[in-house]
Amino acid sequence: MVWLAAAVLAVLATDALHTRLPPSGGASRQMGFVPDPDLAKVLSLGFGAVLADFYWLQAIQAAGGDVRITPELGDHLGRLIDLVTTLNPRVDHPYRFAAIWMTASEQNVRTANRLLARGIEYHPDEWRNYFYLGFNHFFYLLENDRAAEWLDRASRLPGAPRYLPRLAARLKSESAEIEVAAVFLQEMLNTSQDDVAKEGYRAALDEIEVEQSARLLDGARARFQDRNGRDLRTVEELVAGESAVLRTLPAAEPLALPSALRRGSTWVLDPVSDRIVSTYYGKRYRLHVGESDRQRAEGWAEERRIRERVQGMEGSRGETRHEPSNHDR
Amino acid sequence: MSHPITTDDSREIVRVDAIVKDFRPGLGLRAKRVLHEVSFAVREGEIYGFVGPNGAGKTTTLKILMGLIRPTSGNATILDCDVTETGFREHIGFLPENPYFYSFLTAEEILRFYARLSGVGGRDRDRRVQALIELVGLGDARRERLSTYSKGMLQRVGIAQALIHDPKVVFLDEPMSGLDPIGRKDIRDIILRLKSEGKTVFMNTHILNDVEMICDRVAIIVKGRIRHEGPIREFMNEEAMRSDIVLAHLAPEVAEQLGAKFSARVQTVGEQVEVQVMDGQVRDLLKSALEAGAEVLSLSPNRISLERIFLEAVEQGEQADGSSAAERGAPAC
Amino acid sequence: MLNSGSRIWPIATNTVREAVRHRLLYTLLFFAVTMIGFSVLIASLSYVEGERIIQDVGLASIRLFSVGIAIFVGIGLIHGEVERRTIYTILAKPVTRSEFLLGKFLGLLLTVWLQLCLMAIAFVAVSVLVGAGLDLGYVAAMLLVGVELMVIVAVATLFSSFTTPMLAAFFTLGIYALGHLSRDLYSLGQASDVPAVKQAATLLYRALPDLESFNLSTQAVHGVAISGAEVGWASLYGVAYSIALLILASFIFHRRDLE
Repeated sequence: MVWLAAAVLAVLATDALHTRLPPSGGASRQMGFVPDPDLAKVLSLGFGAVLADFYWLQAIQAAGGDVRITPELGDHLGRLIDLVTTLNPRVDHPYRFAAIWMTASEQNVRTANRLLARGIEYHPDEWRNYFYLGFNHFFYLLENDRAAEWLDRASRLPGAPRYLPRLAARLKSESAEIEVAAVFLQEMLNTSQDDVAKEGYRAALDEIEVEQSARLLDGARARFQDRNGRDLRTVEELVAGESAVLRTLPAAEPLALPSALRRGSTWVLDPVSDRIVSTYYGKRYRLHVGESDRQRAEGWAEERRIRERVQGMEGSRGETRHEPSNHDR
Repeated sequence: MSHPITTDDSREIVRVDAIVKDFRPGLGLRAKRVLHEVSFAVREGEIYGFVGPNGAGKTTTLKILMGLIRPTSGNATILDCDVTETGFREHIGFLPENPYFYSFLTAEEILRFYARLSGVGGRDRDRRVQALIELVGLGDARRERLSTYSKGMLQRVGIAQALIHDPKVVFLDEPMSGLDPIGRKDIRDIILRLKSEGKTVFMNTHILNDVEMICDRVAIIVKGRIRHEGPIREFMNEEAMRSDIVLAHLAPEVAEQLGAKFSARVQTVGEQVEVQVMDGQVRDLLKSALEAGAEVLSLSPNRISLERIFLEAVEQGEQADGSSAAERGAPAC
Repeated sequence: MLNSGSRIWPIATNTVREAVRHRLLYTLLFFAVTMIGFSVLIASLSYVEGERIIQDVGLASIRLFSVGIAIFVGIGLIHGEVERRTIYTILAKPVTRSEFLLGKFLGLLLTVWLQLCLMAIAFVAVSVLVGAGLDLGYVAAMLLVGVELMVIVAVATLFSSFTTPMLAAFFTLGIYALGHLSRDLYSLGQASDVPAVKQAATLLYRALPDLESFNLSTQAVHGVAISGAEVGWASLYGVAYSIALLILASFIFHRRDLE
């Protein structure tokens, strides 16, 4: 009895002390130490696969939930997935996991591409890795030529969607970016197994859908000008009275939007930009996922040009490390 | 001591020739010599006592004979086979000191195990196992795990496994140790029975009483050297036949006379006189003493001869050890 | 003259009987089976490839714990017999030291193979339960785990034949680690510009057991085709290596004083 009481007391005391300890906070939990992949591979003593699983679970934990994927977290994920795919290169999903989440900086995207290239090396018949690589080049790095190359290669693999060659061709023409993005995003949505990532693709597709309606209205506006010799005063003029060029206005909100989120948005002429916008978004979609992404992508491109110029002057080594090894065939 | 004593021309069953054993306590440490050119021979059909104090090298010698350790130099044979060989072991039995067996087995199981190792096959095996369990008196415990056995019972299992394959030569290391008086008698009887069956027995012991009772020949080993070797009679002549008599009321001069007449050792201690005399003279001496008006306080046969030799040998050993230079020289006595 | 088998076999079966009494064996077996079951929980943390993770964890547990059993039961194998002097009465029978050694080796090998089978049953049960694929690749992987265990038991027997359990554990674990590193050591050595380093690395690679050649678990889990020849050659290599170790152990054990 005395022993039992002592045991209970000891457990309670330990628990009380434990709760007083500061919980291992988000940042420190997410950004734990990641060992050097090559060293870990050597020291895994044949237990690489299970160690890879361990770090894979860490990567999921780090990216999961409502965390904002900062460039720093992207770097961390890159280290984890590098480790996972070094310990067990035969894994499949982690390569695309990296591509999905490592989008917060050019550095992140380049690292993700390098990992995808490793995925291609170990799964040469898996078209999705080529596809994701193409997507990254198109969407984040604004390298349409390279994106087209990867899509070309993906299209020749078993199981690849039939539209890929067409998509690749349109990329080369450097037009119809919105349509290309929609196709890409739809494919990402179809193949992704991660719910949070899917949510992002869905939102981007919604925005593109509204953008496509807005472009339709742009066309109608031009015809209105031709016919009436003047510009619109309100968007409603497109469907009102004798000067109407359209029978009805398209929806100003995404069709798939749940009714609870509907706000009865309308089309208006934005006085600042003088463009037709949906009140739902309040602005026009410029490319892909969102304006910020486009700006970010342009920012990276600018940054890269500056860096290349500086490096060119210094005569130092080029930034080839992050490129997929079999890129320039 | 009515068993026949072997004649000197019997076949030599065990031969030990100038065995030297050095032990190296560890790397870089100086080797320690535990056996110094030990030589002796055991003849067919005899019970050979290998006697010495603890640490004298008895067990080391036996381990060399059993092939468990290798001599540094010299060689040993059993049944004319070098002890490092294996085949002849079909014909020998061995009881180690304080034997220990797989404690998760029963007496029957362990004996069956040893029988199989010794090549005792088929129906013969079960018969031998049962016979030996009866012989060593473990009938009641035959199906119990050895982990429940007392030391004395394990000793009996040890004897049984040594005899399981009906060997010609049996080596026993301290066979009586850890046994109660009944157990000792049982083991003694078994050893004598082996002898009567014509088997040769070699036994290590430090219990001199056992040696006197059953051994035909004896070697005394002290600090790795054989100090005496020979038939037990050699140790028992003369002095073994003496008796101690304690007398009272005897005038010192009469005592002197008696001593001279019967060539007895006489010592006066206060009122009493202690006399040590050959057995054959006891009757006459007593008669003379009684006639002289003496009173007999005690009469006891003197049987400590072997022990005396043993103790002397140990003492010599100690001295020899103290002056290593004169090691092989004549003992200082 | 009796044949050796009739002496080796009783020693082997007795060793099995002794080993199955080892408490450590059950502890490790318990942990292994628990881990195999636990793998389902671990896998539930991942939203993809859960079955693969279950099998990764299961196979790793089997390999880890069976090697643990082989090493920690094996290291005391010979030493315990000498320490408790049970060997005295055995070697006083017409049993050569090689036969004794081989009997102990076989006994321990049978024991670890037995528990490997138990773990494999647990693994198959969990795999079937979660609907993870099972094919001949897994049989091949298990078979080679068995071969690896044979080599480890032979290593433990070798060290146990002349040193204390503590040192034997240390050495056997060392060989186990180096055996899994030997390919890396080799390639590391080949990258060196110093010929002596290259040669030393090559020598080490050839002398150490190439334990990675027995590791097919990742291939099995990922459904990579495993050729029968690969399994056959690896098994032959394992058998040959074990025999070499046992000959060496025999050589040492024959010359040893059993104090």
